[in-house]
Amino acid sequence: MHVPQDDPQDDPDRRPHADPGLQPERTTLAWNRTVLALVVAGLLLLRWVPGHGWFPLVLTLLTLLTALVIAGGQARRYRRSSRGIRDGRVEADVVGVLGTTAAVALLGALALVVVVALPLR
Amino acid sequence: MTSSSDGPPGGDAPPGSNARPGSDAPPGATTPPARSPRSARILGGGTEPDPRFTLANERTFLAWIRTALALLAGGVALEAFTADTFAEPVRSGLAVVLLLLSLMLAVAAGIRWLAVERAMRRQAPLPLSLLVPVLAGGAALVAAAFLAVALGGA
Repeated sequence: MHVPQDDPQDDPDRRPHADPGLQPERTTLAWNRTVLALVVAGLLLLRWVPGHGWFPLVLTLLTLLTALVIAGGQARRYRRSSRGIRDGRVEADVVGVLGTTAAVALLGALALVVVVALPLR
Repeated sequence: MTSSSDGPPGGDAPPGSNARPGSDAPPGATTPPARSPRSARILGGGTEPDPRFTLANERTFLAWIRTALALLAGGVALEAFTADTFAEPVRSGLAVVLLLLSLMLAVAAGIRWLAVERAMRRQAPLPLSLLVPVLAGGAALVAAAFLAVALGGA
């Protein structure tokens, strides 16, 4: 996570916020925990490869890709919420939330396909 | 003027700090047009809520998504690790229930995030959550099935 340190007054995006509730930190950490949960689920799916064939690898790839995209946006996400707290308005992260929803739902659907249509050999 | 009545635990803003103008904004305040057209269409009309509420809604969504991921991991682990413990139809059946529950929670989490965001923008009461009874019922069902199989096998 990118935490502003050096000469924060230079850049309006990097000036520290004044929220005693630490909302930007808590929100960024919540996304971080989600990344970790995705990585755990993705690696656990590797356990399906010996029994169910190569298809679970697609699920692992999808999971790790989602985690990577979220992790890559963390610095931008922190700046967005930090600036939002300062300005008194933060734009709801429609793309991030609905994209994560779609990815996790797709993951669940594909896992169901594996259990139902690709039984253990 | 400090907004000590509606502030989070943690205290008032220091004098002179203008960190939470959202809670002091009049209901009819205009929304600056910085939003992308697609987000504006999805979120509907209304005024921008307090940024802390938007972020809290986002964190709540993430907590539900992680719950869905935990159920998914449970289903995957059940299918992968219990071949010696449970007979075939029971094992797949329980895994399917867990995965279905995970799928439902993920979709419902996204829908609920959107419903709450829209309600906050219109200053309407927040919608009731169907997620909690679904999760409670599903978890109880799976636990009961586990218990029945374990006792039946003993």
